[in-house]
Amino acid sequence: MEVLFLISSIVCLLGTVLLLSHRNAVYGLLGLLVAFVGSAGVFRSLDAPFVAVAQVLVYAGALAVMFLFVLMFTDTRTSLDRAGLPLSVGARVNFKPEDVKKFKDEQAAQKPASLLQSVQLPQPLAAVIALAFFACLAFAIHKLPDHTWGSFGELPANYETGLVERVADGTTIDRKVGYGSTSAISYTIFEGFPLAFEVVSLLIFAAVLGAVLLARRHLEGLTAPSRPERAGGDSHGHSGAHH
Amino acid sequence: MLEPKTVLFLSALLFSAGMYGVLSRRNLLMLLMSLELMLNAVNIALVAYSRAWAGRQADIVGAHTGQFFTLMVMAVAASEVGIGLAIIVAIFRRKRSADSEVASELKN
Repeated sequence: MEVLFLISSIVCLLGTVLLLSHRNAVYGLLGLLVAFVGSAGVFRSLDAPFVAVAQVLVYAGALAVMFLFVLMFTDTRTSLDRAGLPLSVGARVNFKPEDVKKFKDEQAAQKPASLLQSVQLPQPLAAVIALAFFACLAFAIHKLPDHTWGSFGELPANYETGLVERVADGTTIDRKVGYGSTSAISYTIFEGFPLAFEVVSLLIFAAVLGAVLLARRHLEGLTAPSRPERAGGDSHGHSGAHH
Repeated sequence: MLEPKTVLFLSALLFSAGMYGVLSRRNLLMLLMSLELMLNAVNIALVAYSRAWAGRQADIVGAHTGQFFTLMVMAVAASEVGIGLAIIVAIFRRKRSADSEVASELKN
């Protein structure tokens, strides 16, 4: 357990350094991914296999992909369409040929920064604030009483959950589940905190609605369109409809 | 021997690192990533406390409460990232930039 914790925490810290030290957001996302996988290993070393799997699925799987999508949408330098032009959300601009040539020349002149080139110097004020905060936290952790927080203690081999599994002939058997297993987590959710579980489902529903509303092309009735309609801009689409 | 304090130190270190990222970044996406790192650090602390309670022979719900909290934090973080990314896309559409300085209409 100690070995796994050591390796995972080192991986986690390396990913954090990669996230914090680079200007290029793709390297930063890579570092965040490494940090998430490392902390999944930390969860596993703390006997929480279900949380570790959820960490990999939710953070390293879903969140990283979401970040990558938005990164590709918003980073004009790294995301290009088939004509080699910046691909940006909602931008349906008809580029002139000379614009295209100028942009391509700029692209050829400006190569994306390599892993070493995108390293940025630390910001002194932010570093001082964060270090002071870490000093406070470390002092508080150091002051934790040893008789209560000195060791993790022995893990019970089995938990007597009172879970009863009904089998076909009507008899029941007692089940014992391990610490951190899926059965134990589900028992905790549905016996301990069912209301919180339901409220979180409502929260996610609201978040999905909010994200869809925010990401619509124009927030009709709320704000003006993001750019004025160009006179000849949509002529292709309309001409097809008229004929 | 792995101690709770060691894990809490790791958690504090990650939280402070995320805090540094939030304070020093101008790119909104990097800022959101650092925020995720802070939430992740809190998750590590919660799981460590959960394991420490289990070592003291707590009942099954008590021993897993920290892990349940971690799952809830994950759900909240996922929603937050969804909303945050939608806001970043909306800002980028209006301003053609994902820099945190461009969204300053409410300044002064």
